[in-house]
Amino acid sequence: MIGFFSLVTAILIAMGLFFMIVGPIGLIRLPDLFTRAHASGKCDTLGQALILLGLIVYEGFTFDAVKLLMLIIFLYVMSPTATHAIVRAAHILKYHAWKPGEERE
Amino acid sequence: MKGIERIISISVTFGILFIFWILLSAHFDAFHLVAGAVCAMLVAVISHDLLFTKPVRGGILTLLHFTHYCGWLFLEIWLAGLDVAYRVLHPDLPIDPQVVTFDTPFSDDIVRTVFANSMTLTPGTITIDVIGSTYTVHALTSEAARDLTEGRSIEKRVHRIFPET
Repeated sequence: MIGFFSLVTAILIAMGLFFMIVGPIGLIRLPDLFTRAHASGKCDTLGQALILLGLIVYEGFTFDAVKLLMLIIFLYVMSPTATHAIVRAAHILKYHAWKPGEERE
Repeated sequence: MKGIERIISISVTFGILFIFWILLSAHFDAFHLVAGAVCAMLVAVISHDLLFTKPVRGGILTLLHFTHYCGWLFLEIWLAGLDVAYRVLHPDLPIDPQVVTFDTPFSDDIVRTVFANSMTLTPGTITIDVIGSTYTVHALTSEAARDLTEGRSIEKRVHRIFPET
């Protein structure tokens, strides 16, 4: 018999894995750097947070859970900043943004 | 910043750092607590002015607005992930990307950072560049672009937690 918390953990991690897989699929399917940044920036942040949340539920109310919670907060500050750094570099280098109807790269 | 303000600033910084130390170390013996207190005090004295660059106003109300904002942001992150997942997995790839430049009334650096990061986390938008209070944003869809320049829902949210800017 699987415990309730193990089940919640499994569901959360499965959802996290779903988003972690969608991120790379987006990298392949989307046409240019800027749109790819959307896929990697958002799906990965959500996926990682869900996996960590699952681990917090598994861990219960301990110091390790608090550390994992801090990791989530850190991720939410770091991920947009990293995404921003990449697209800003592309913008400064006058990287052409894809428009509908154009040939994809 | 001097006198009583400086002491308050140092002690609050010390408190936050010491709590942070305890949470990370998870040891309650004398050695770890004393070492943590010494380190926290040292850092607090040297860099308390980094945490409070100006006197904090508002207090409880700002904290309440901020908590409310965090809840809203968490929901938006969910929607953002689902939105991107839907568009990526859709066979027709329903995207209409565009670059939008628009002005905001924000003058404070922290508020500008919060706004830029919130925009990247919410559905369909990524902040490309910030010059002064002018933002350059890449939007994945035309709806997201229209919300930035006309609806301004994120801007209003940020305005509510930091009403003075």
